[in-house]
Amino acid sequence: MITTATTDTPTTTTAAAPPAPVAAAAAGSAAPDLPPGLALQKVDERIMTLNVGPQHPGSGHMRIIVQIDGDHIVACDPDPGYVHRGEEKMAEYRNYITNIPHLERPVIHDSCNILYPYVLGVEELLGIETPERAKYVRVIASELNRCIYTMYWLAIYGIFLGHSTMFMWPAGDRELLIDLMEKMTGARVTHAHFVPGGVRNDLPPNFEDVCLRQVNYFEKRIKEYADIFYDNPILISRTRETGVLSRQDAIRLGTTGSVLRASGVDYDVRKKEPYDVYDELDVNTNVMTAGDSYARSRVPWLDMMESCNIIRSALEKMPKSGSVRVKLKPNPKGGNDTVYKRVESGRGALGCYIVSDGKPEPYRVKMSVGSFRNLIALPYLLKGEKLGNMPAVYWSLNYWPVEADR
Amino acid sequence: MKTATGIIRALNSGVKHLAVKRFTLRYPEEKLEFVGDGYQFDPSTGVGIAGLKGRHMLFHDHCTGCQLCSIACEGVAEAIAMVKVPEEQKQNKKSIMPQIDYGKCVFCGLCVDACPFYALYMTNDYELSSFSKEGLIYTPAQLAVKPYVRQDSSIQITERGATHG
Repeated sequence: MITTATTDTPTTTTAAAPPAPVAAAAAGSAAPDLPPGLALQKVDERIMTLNVGPQHPGSGHMRIIVQIDGDHIVACDPDPGYVHRGEEKMAEYRNYITNIPHLERPVIHDSCNILYPYVLGVEELLGIETPERAKYVRVIASELNRCIYTMYWLAIYGIFLGHSTMFMWPAGDRELLIDLMEKMTGARVTHAHFVPGGVRNDLPPNFEDVCLRQVNYFEKRIKEYADIFYDNPILISRTRETGVLSRQDAIRLGTTGSVLRASGVDYDVRKKEPYDVYDELDVNTNVMTAGDSYARSRVPWLDMMESCNIIRSALEKMPKSGSVRVKLKPNPKGGNDTVYKRVESGRGALGCYIVSDGKPEPYRVKMSVGSFRNLIALPYLLKGEKLGNMPAVYWSLNYWPVEADR
Repeated sequence: MKTATGIIRALNSGVKHLAVKRFTLRYPEEKLEFVGDGYQFDPSTGVGIAGLKGRHMLFHDHCTGCQLCSIACEGVAEAIAMVKVPEEQKQNKKSIMPQIDYGKCVFCGLCVDACPFYALYMTNDYELSSFSKEGLIYTPAQLAVKPYVRQDSSIQITERGATHG
């Protein structure tokens, strides 16, 4: 029995030997078959994964997956896409005019600026020459909209740093400009004011005086924010030296707008590639070199004062009369052409790429938005920060989730 | 020392606001003032007239039932449906007029831009809430009524700050 057993053992081992490579192959093939999200991760006892969002108000309509070791952030993975609306696909089924009300939806507080590159592109496709007065009206509307957006952003930035006065004041002072936009366009948000060939309606009577008075008062008000917010030692101690983005990194990561200017790069589309009448107006850019959250939150505030200057000089130089809209044929058709136009929005450079194939509908509309490009910097900025500094860094990126998802 | 002066400056700035007038508006009692009678469009020049984009107003004696407003709304909200009306107008052979569903309307005003017969305007009426979805559907007869909108307060800027006076 023993001898048979000993003679059996090699047979069993040889019998067991063939399945072994099969099992090994199965085990080896199982790992690549799993989708990347299901692959097993090494568990470290010290690291905790925390989901900030998508319902948490501190994250906006997105999720930030943060890995923390104690109080310090080890890694961060922003997860946008919760408010994807398919704007670009929708634009392929509507003609050049009916695209207007839905293309401004991603940023309803900045709806003139998000429509601006689309309108400029369609004008070039259809070969329309815009009247001079309409160009000035557009510049005024887009600068007012930039201020409205920035005030809304500033209110959010204040409340997430625990400064509730800074939520109330911008939200209240924003009303001055919303009132102007309501008089000008007929809607408080989602104006649908820009069309290819000008703007929808002329300015109401006596608008210049009202605009000048309210913009002057608005500028006086935002200067008071220095006392309560920007020179406040509590804010400075929370935001200075947090989330530092160096000049090289800002360029390498492709950030735009206030994030880029806060890192010391003097880049503004209004100045570098002037569109409409920006080349006739004095545009000064505000540049800070620190690249921290404080600089990133201060640059939009300085930009608002610059916007007030632009509005004043545009009101002065604007032709007092004249047409504001070119009459278009119904269902205008573009040729076989592509066009790319860029403007400076409240969040950075905003581009629109339109492909036309000779039909009333565009073949493709692609929006290249500033929010999405600034989000790329977030994992680099948050690494090594404390979790409590996350709102200060995240909101300083001037990020708008709906615009990034389109 | 710098920290202390900074905090005192912030507190001082807040205390100054005790003397500033109230800026907010007590809405149902006070209502905002608008320019004009609502957004209108002049088809001869192709330029609109500034005004609030609120509820529409339909002029039955101008509407020809051409459906251009309905076609303009197709790619936007599909809020306009053409319905039969009992009355007979000599310019409206088919006796159809727009009926607007304000549950869908986005108040862009492209239907007003589309109308070549001065028949469809927008008014200052913005209080459209209803208890039912059916209540938001305005028939041509309802759209013909000119709304009464009380407007009694606009932004006033004084020495003591801005108010809704």
